[in-house]
Amino acid sequence: MRPSPADILRAGFFSTMMWLKNNRWMFFTVFIWPYLLAGGMLLIGTAFGSLETFSQNVGVANPVVYMIAASGVVMSSLIIVDDVANFVVYARWVGTLPYLLLTPASYPLLLLLLPLPDAFLGSMSGLLAALPGAVAVEGVMGAARIGLILLFVYLGMLPLVGLSVIIASATLIVKTDENIASFLTPLMTLVSGVFYPITILPPVLQALAGVIPVTYVVQAAKLAASFTTPEVAPFLLAAGSLTALALGYNGAAAVFIRGVEKAVKRSGAV
Amino acid sequence: MAAISVRNLVKTYYTTERRGFLKRRKIPVRALRGVSFEVRRGEVFGLLGPNGAGKTTTIKIITTLLLPDSGKAEVLGVDVIRDPVRAREVMGVTLSVERGFFWKLTGRENLKYFGILRGMRGEELEKRIDKVLELTGLRDLGGEHKLFEEYSLGMKARLALARAMLHDPPLLILDEPTLGLDPHSARTIRSLLVRLAREEGKTVLITTHNMFEADLMCDRVAIINKGVIVAVGTPAELKARIAGRLGMEFLVRAPPAVDVRSVIQRALSKAEVSVEPTQEGLRVRLVIRPEEEEKTLERVTEALAAVGGRVRQVRVQEPTLEDVFIALTGGGGVEAVTG
Repeated sequence: MRPSPADILRAGFFSTMMWLKNNRWMFFTVFIWPYLLAGGMLLIGTAFGSLETFSQNVGVANPVVYMIAASGVVMSSLIIVDDVANFVVYARWVGTLPYLLLTPASYPLLLLLLPLPDAFLGSMSGLLAALPGAVAVEGVMGAARIGLILLFVYLGMLPLVGLSVIIASATLIVKTDENIASFLTPLMTLVSGVFYPITILPPVLQALAGVIPVTYVVQAAKLAASFTTPEVAPFLLAAGSLTALALGYNGAAAVFIRGVEKAVKRSGAV
Repeated sequence: MAAISVRNLVKTYYTTERRGFLKRRKIPVRALRGVSFEVRRGEVFGLLGPNGAGKTTTIKIITTLLLPDSGKAEVLGVDVIRDPVRAREVMGVTLSVERGFFWKLTGRENLKYFGILRGMRGEELEKRIDKVLELTGLRDLGGEHKLFEEYSLGMKARLALARAMLHDPPLLILDEPTLGLDPHSARTIRSLLVRLAREEGKTVLITTHNMFEADLMCDRVAIINKGVIVAVGTPAELKARIAGRLGMEFLVRAPPAVDVRSVIQRALSKAEVSVEPTQEGLRVRLVIRPEEEEKTLERVTEALAAVGGRVRQVRVQEPTLEDVFIALTGGGGVEAVTG
């Protein structure tokens, strides 16, 4: 019997849920994480001036809500890279990789779909963790902002999936146990403009920021954290940029992973 | 139609040798040099060979995890190279009994995960999980709701076998399924595999270097050495190949620094020697002609005495499958024989 794409997603979802069920302390760390990160950033930020100065420098109306949400955004956006790109490394380490590749499904489908539920749930929990903080500071408006940001996080995941699948395929072919994404995620955080404006970055990094999906998610998060009356145009621009990047990255991934199965089997990388 | 048909498989690997910080050199390793054999439907077939002989490479090609440089392999008429996805549907595989599961999931949860990945669902999946837990004895051992990280090696082996059987495949391919297991677990797994072949008509292909195991459970065996099949037949047929010879076994004690194998090999220039450590000392096994018995005993005793060792026990018996293996492969790499 062959698994359908829905079966592969179901298996990924099942393992994540069982893992969380059997590791209940993980709930605590997932929910405390954005607050620790936001608290740390605000502490460092206020060491250089007041919250108002920070607000002016970063360009958001409510720095506290923004920092909580931004921490959630970064966590949620990058979790897809961690989950999908590191999936092969993790499976190889645990020893499940050959058994996953022995299931009657194509390698690209497995690489793409199996880690998705974990990434989806991880993103959601990251932002849901930020929700109580946002509601405490701003009430219903805070919740609305988080909801809007969550939408952009999921949109931002689309191009990151393509990028992550390319990394996962490369990891599978070259038979490395290196976490290739480990240098990529800090770089994305650095240039995405989450903790300071992109305009203060050198031109090369500004150009790099333009092709990193997280940048547009952060842009949308900033808009969501600063608007008083909703303006649709800036959000549409961010959404359009993310869609364009999604087409580019996923198109490249589709070409790249076509030869993965053969390359892996030739090199004996499993 | 054969359950498994392997024809002229050739595979060369490239390993990398580091020569300084940046310099590397690729070294070709010819793992398979034209391996051919057939496994009949409903039989338990053993692929025997010393370490590095090509057993696992052969298994990986048959199970679609590796592409050969040339040659062909079919499972139940399906070409594993041209149609790997269909080939994977008809086989259940175990590659390592120790790993391959999620540590933080229970035995049942792990099976359910892999079952879903086989397209199984609902009551059908739950019933199959119940059946394989029952068959492997994991339920009686309390493994169903225990986290995999708390499993003993014997339980891990049973769970690996349970996963291989989960989708009820007609073909089971198991790479060293009893390696490192205690005698009781090994016996349970052996008898289950034989029962599956006899009662349910499953075809079982196992690799092992446990000659006792192969002799006991395999209908036929193939001996592979240095990437080539050197013999195929029933254990009785293979033993007949060295009819008229005897297996001579020594239990010896020697200082740790002494390479007993080399010492005995020097004393008996043409003999094929197998050495394995046991609780009581080193177990040395030779294949000899009946008229050589006295001379062999004398030479081995003298050679060992010269390096500070001694013979504690000697036993001479009819040749076993292990003796055939020693005679055909030179005895290299034979590992612990567990009962």
